[in-house]
Amino acid sequence: MIERMVEVQNAHGIHARPAAQIVKVAARFSSQITLARDALEVNAKSIMGVMMLAAECGAQLRIRADGPDASDAIEAIAALIASRFGES
Amino acid sequence: MGTPLHGVSASPGIVVGTAQILRWEVPEVPVRVIPDEAVPAELARLHTAIGAAVDRLQQCKARAQQNAGPAEAAIFDVQVAVLGDEALTGGIEALIRQNLGAEKAVELVFLEWRERFTRSTNPLMRERAGDLVDIEIRLLSILLGLPDGDPIAAGPDAETILVTHDLTPSLTVQLDRTSIRGIATDAGTRTSHVAILARSLGIPAVVGLIDATSRVQTGDRVILDATNGELVLRPTAATLARFAERAQEEAAVRSELASMTTAEAVTADGVRITLRANVDLPDGVERLAASGAEGVGLMRTEFLVVGRTAMPSEDEQVEAYRAVLEAFPGQPVVIRTYDVGGDKLPVGGFPHEPNPFLGWRAIRMCLDEPALFSVQLRALLRAAVHGDVRIMLPLVVGVDEVRQTRYLLREAAAELARRGVAHRADVPVGIMVETPAAALTTARFAEAVDFFSVGTNDLVQYTLAVDRGNAALVTRFTPLHPAVLRLIDGTVRDAAAVGRECSVCGEMASQPLMAYALLGLGVRTLSVSAAAIPVIKRLIRGVRLGAASAAAQAALVAPTAHEAERGLRQSLSEALGAGVTDGLLGLS
Repeated sequence: MIERMVEVQNAHGIHARPAAQIVKVAARFSSQITLARDALEVNAKSIMGVMMLAAECGAQLRIRADGPDASDAIEAIAALIASRFGES
Repeated sequence: MGTPLHGVSASPGIVVGTAQILRWEVPEVPVRVIPDEAVPAELARLHTAIGAAVDRLQQCKARAQQNAGPAEAAIFDVQVAVLGDEALTGGIEALIRQNLGAEKAVELVFLEWRERFTRSTNPLMRERAGDLVDIEIRLLSILLGLPDGDPIAAGPDAETILVTHDLTPSLTVQLDRTSIRGIATDAGTRTSHVAILARSLGIPAVVGLIDATSRVQTGDRVILDATNGELVLRPTAATLARFAERAQEEAAVRSELASMTTAEAVTADGVRITLRANVDLPDGVERLAASGAEGVGLMRTEFLVVGRTAMPSEDEQVEAYRAVLEAFPGQPVVIRTYDVGGDKLPVGGFPHEPNPFLGWRAIRMCLDEPALFSVQLRALLRAAVHGDVRIMLPLVVGVDEVRQTRYLLREAAAELARRGVAHRADVPVGIMVETPAAALTTARFAEAVDFFSVGTNDLVQYTLAVDRGNAALVTRFTPLHPAVLRLIDGTVRDAAAVGRECSVCGEMASQPLMAYALLGLGVRTLSVSAAAIPVIKRLIRGVRLGAASAAAQAALVAPTAHEAERGLRQSLSEALGAGVTDGLLGLS
């Protein structure tokens, strides 16, 4: 299992549309992927879970992945979050 | 003849079509217990319904993309992802396995998630509860076999007449404007959101029908006589023929009006009047530019924030303003800053207010949230590179509000300069005169503003203490009330005395009788809805300002709005002839 810390950088945080984008990317991988904020850890393939994080701009998230494509999965999700979901 | 329902004409025209009821509320769900052996079939039913809902959402997305744009369409991706989420569907399945019918299982699981979201202290989360309601309505409607009341369900040939309780701004972004021939609503008045939108799109609309949604059924053949504010149910063949004839007559008047596009807005006694257009959404703007408008007297910016899931970026706003500026090269485009309450914003979780019209809204909200307001101000200064932008502030009651905005504008310009972004720092700033406070102190604003524009809808509402969205008060919303006329008269005089332009951009300018009164009070710049441009231009070309002024002076001292109206109508009939007057009044 591998993990990485990322910071949410887009101004409006992970609201509905970014959450949908995360779920779409996560679904491409067979690994189990979770996102955690403080004590709350959710399945990155569940939009309800990701929305529950209510991660605003500046929130620190831990991405964890376990499985055959774990490192690619973490790379892809970290890159999406770093891209600010295409918002300016 | 059929059964006529009476309402209020919100946007003129006569159309025959097929009613489609749009109910966008969570349906009543029966409790149903199923035997063990029925569980697999019930699970299959659930998944079939989810599949159908996803299919509909994909169609919605494609339509919203066409009608509103990719940013609005993305909301449907979220809804598809929610329906595909095992965290949610797993919960529903578990309840079905405990012998609960699928509908109740759906309702309970959505309730649970909604509460989880609503309970959160994080505003970002609380907003998500609203998204869930939308999904729940769709899924339950499919499971219950309810008629699909989706606003975008109709095909391009459907000749749909949309019948609904009220049309909210967030439903509006989904509407397919190619298939909707007419709109009929239970609620609303001439000045409510749906009416203004219908007029700007040129779709006939009747509002304030009280109970149309319970008297009409989807699929009913109906006549919408929006010129006279009627919805005729189950018309006879004779009635249909009669309306077809009337529709033709109206078309003839319209074609005369169509020739107004290229005509000059000059009164019969040779005074040039400036006629500008009001813009609600940038997507109809090419049509507007072709209607003969000389610039934009009011561009509303609420579409940028209402019904959205995120605040628009500076770049996105610049593009929206630029689209309008480029449609009116070299002509003024007056852009009004956000005129909404905090609760309508996609961010912040600002509270709902019991009395929003007297509440924390418009310039008040913007000045209290300078971070949010400054994004709009920077976008406006940047857009000004592409045309003649003028910034207009809504709901101003005091000079200090203009001073504070000017301070934020200087900061915005400084930041853009620091970033090296092209912009203009010298954009004119004006105010909407829409409160008695501003109307009574117009002259004091001279030091701070470059222009005034009277917003009649709110001025009437605040002066007469009449909610313009309340169908029960529709006869009491009287723009020709002597108090309103006196406030406008004073504003026009004071603005002239301090050498500032004073235009009128409210709904009042779009109605011939009232436009006539405004000309008589000395207003020389009117900004009207797109559909009203030819009507008002025809009026301008037929009247003399001397007679208009005499009629307006008489209206100013009339004891009641009704008597003011009678006098104006008589004066106008003398100028234009009774036939033309009736025709113009009927079409507005």
